[in-house]
Amino acid sequence: MKGKKKKEEKDKIIRAEDQWEPIGHTPMPDVSDLRNWDRRLMETYQPFYAPFCDLCCLCTYGKCDLTGTNRGACGIDIAGQQGRIVTLACCMGMSAHAGHAAHIIDYLIEKYGEDHPLNLGDQVDVECPNIRTVLGLKPKTLGDLKKAVQYASEQLVHVLSSTHTGQEGDAVDYESKAMHISMLDHVVMEAADVAQIAGFKYPTSVADTPLVDMGWGSIDASKPVILVVGHNPAASTEIIDYLRKKGLEDKVEVGGICCTALETTRYSDKAKVIGPLSRQLFFVRTGIADVIVTDEQCIRTDIAEEATKVGTVVIASSDKACRGLEEASDKPTDEVVKEMVDKGKHCLILDHAKAAEVAVEAALKLAPKRQKAKTALIDKAKAQELAQACKECGSCDVVCPNLQSIGSAVKRLAAGDFGPFTEVFESCIGCGKCEEACPQAIPIFQLMQAVASWDTWKCRAGRGPIMDTEIRKVGAPIVLGTIPGVVAFVGCSNFPNEINEIADMVEEFARRKYIVVVSGCSAMTLGMKKDAEGKTLYERYTGEFDAGGIVNVGSCVANAHITGAAMKIANIFAKLPLRANYEVIADYIYNRVGAVGVAWGAMSQKAASIATGCNRLGIPVVLGPHSAKYRRLYLSRKEEGDWTVMDGRKKELVDTEEPSPEHLAIVVESKERAMVTIAKLCIRKNDTQPGRQIKLNHYIDLYKKFFGTLPDDLHHFVRTERDIPMFFKKEVKQFLEEKGWKPKPALTLPTLIGTYDTEVPIEATIR
Amino acid sequence: MPHPQHLVNILTGVKGATEMKDAAPLVKIIKKAARPLLVIGPQALEVEIDGKPFIEYLVEIARAGKIPICATAHTKKKLLELGVTPESTYDLIEVINSLKDPEWKGVKGEGCHDFVLFGGVRTDLGNQGLSALKHFAPHLKTMTLCKYYYPNATFSLPNYRKNEEWKALLEELIKGLK
Repeated sequence: MKGKKKKEEKDKIIRAEDQWEPIGHTPMPDVSDLRNWDRRLMETYQPFYAPFCDLCCLCTYGKCDLTGTNRGACGIDIAGQQGRIVTLACCMGMSAHAGHAAHIIDYLIEKYGEDHPLNLGDQVDVECPNIRTVLGLKPKTLGDLKKAVQYASEQLVHVLSSTHTGQEGDAVDYESKAMHISMLDHVVMEAADVAQIAGFKYPTSVADTPLVDMGWGSIDASKPVILVVGHNPAASTEIIDYLRKKGLEDKVEVGGICCTALETTRYSDKAKVIGPLSRQLFFVRTGIADVIVTDEQCIRTDIAEEATKVGTVVIASSDKACRGLEEASDKPTDEVVKEMVDKGKHCLILDHAKAAEVAVEAALKLAPKRQKAKTALIDKAKAQELAQACKECGSCDVVCPNLQSIGSAVKRLAAGDFGPFTEVFESCIGCGKCEEACPQAIPIFQLMQAVASWDTWKCRAGRGPIMDTEIRKVGAPIVLGTIPGVVAFVGCSNFPNEINEIADMVEEFARRKYIVVVSGCSAMTLGMKKDAEGKTLYERYTGEFDAGGIVNVGSCVANAHITGAAMKIANIFAKLPLRANYEVIADYIYNRVGAVGVAWGAMSQKAASIATGCNRLGIPVVLGPHSAKYRRLYLSRKEEGDWTVMDGRKKELVDTEEPSPEHLAIVVESKERAMVTIAKLCIRKNDTQPGRQIKLNHYIDLYKKFFGTLPDDLHHFVRTERDIPMFFKKEVKQFLEEKGWKPKPALTLPTLIGTYDTEVPIEATIR
Repeated sequence: MPHPQHLVNILTGVKGATEMKDAAPLVKIIKKAARPLLVIGPQALEVEIDGKPFIEYLVEIARAGKIPICATAHTKKKLLELGVTPESTYDLIEVINSLKDPEWKGVKGEGCHDFVLFGGVRTDLGNQGLSALKHFAPHLKTMTLCKYYYPNATFSLPNYRKNEEWKALLEELIKGLK
């Protein structure tokens, strides 16, 4: 919607009169304001669809067969339908973060008021790069963050409405909408995490955050145990506050699963990370938790039923996940606790302070009664006995989403060989389908108690935004290419072989002096592998945003700090204004910042929107093999693609003949392939010759290590002979000669601005 | 239509693969192809049939049928060790993306392939990739050589519970292609 009134409304929200930076071309963009940018990206990186099924089942005209040239009764074709489903997935993902943000901001405003300042410490002046770049607002208070979330929520309504029957139908336009809402996902994630940092006084402006204990073995089961699950720390921080107030912090264990674990350990170094999402069912079934407090996102929907089986009580604390439980928000605490302790009753409590009080009091009373249940774990002898019932029928194998051979592992366990079942546990995504399918009713998840390591590990507490001082230090080396890249391992880690593969990849790139960033469950998984000396990667590598650092930014919503860091490079190092200047900033990142996201175990719709938001910003994403189920990738065809850009200084179109970055979203099948692909996707057109040499050195070295030869496509990425790494000079020159390679055109300032219809002048890319 | 092996990953649609239990018709189909291609995935390095790696069967099929190879994931290194230089190296999704284009020059520069065999790809990724070809590459047909049924292929082997039958079919296929 355009118009004078609308502009006035936007100007008011972003305080247009403030002169901190000039306002760019797209303040608070509407759905189609960045459409031409998206279409330009998709000229090079066309959507690749792998439909999940042949049908559309969304309205009562259908089901409609969309195979071949068939269209649905509404007229949609299979590509349009895939774009529609992708848009829906991104809306779901973004809405989860927007819901989280809206809730936590309201909760904190209730506590501290709208004018509560956003203090991110003395090392962070550019507090909210996503909000600055997208909205044009420089937020100062919790109230400002609320405005950002309200704007994003309004956009969500528009994009979601486009998926209704008979609205949008074109695949590329759907993709543009998916990109729009996913860009806003980073806005709402940023709002949520900055509100949390300001409200809960999380660590900020420091790199060296505490190393916290991790693992189910870190929980002292002899104490009352509270398990917090989900993403929103409102209830878990109230639990910590209540324990502190009562002097009980050392007497009650608080451990978390999924992102609430990361949030709670940012608030208290006595809290523990039990593990990633994949360990939820396993840990619940151990019965170690006396009380489970759930909040939102990624919680098992059957958690109350599962808890009942082991005598644990559940408090649901979010209206987004009520789980059919009776609300007890207004009941007296004593009464609720009594019902929990005497009857094992679960409840819904939407008053977080009350939920905390009930959780602690119930845990204190339940723990002594449950001591036997909490320590009655299945040992190896019992596991072997239970496994005898296995007929190796294979029913478990065919339902495993991670394609594991569970049946043969159970059979081997029955014979006393625990190795294969240990491997199954280590790669288990925790869905429980194997047990459900077993006709012999073997308690497969309890068997896991016998093979799970009860060791403890270390996870670095999440640190929030990358500091401006760090950006000043690394901005030039990243843009020039002498730091070969920033690689972010984000989100879920479940698939396909979580602990070893994530840790191996992270170590490979940290060792090679890339900057490695982690978040969410990947950040937890990373800490679950130790070297021969018993040290985790967190203990062996610095937490600084610098070459060879491994930086845990925090939970899912902290992913916004990764895109924010890329924006800050454009702003702090290159002096480009962020304010409502999305195209210029995305163009800068696309051409200059060698950043790559890796979502190796991506599971949720949130992963879809996080990744798509990175793609609009010009950041490529590498996905694990099962992620083909997201249905859509953005792929180029390096030989056939058009790699023309504008030389910003000369204002001339130049066919660079260089496919960099080669893809915006790609699925790869093995960690070896992933590592080679990551190194290649860090290549950018703006790399200096020394920078390109370093990047190619890693690409060649990894390719030779895993594939045994020089890369087949190496000639595409050598612009002049001075790009050739010294170490491989002789063989690369011979290879180039065989390929008939010729030097490629030189560029002074690569930009896509000027190659498509936009109001942004080329001059805007130059400072 | 039979059920696929991994039920959770693979939802069926209205157009499913023809199940091929005998080698003879497969041999005919492959021989009829003008420009076949064999795509090899990393599971071929892991899976053994009677002590022999699956990748060696695939190499024998390629040799017998004079079929060019596309090495995906990290299979190239093993192929080189086996004395085979693959005609191309892509990752699975990349080669599928190229195969969608009927104007693609193919791995030998002679034109796009009209028949593509797959072996050693994860079932979830493989079936999604085959879905892309089923919907967007009407100019070619696909065939899977793994021991599981792939509904999105044009032709697929059945789900084999035991390796013996699978091995027998692969050996007959190699013999027939020679």
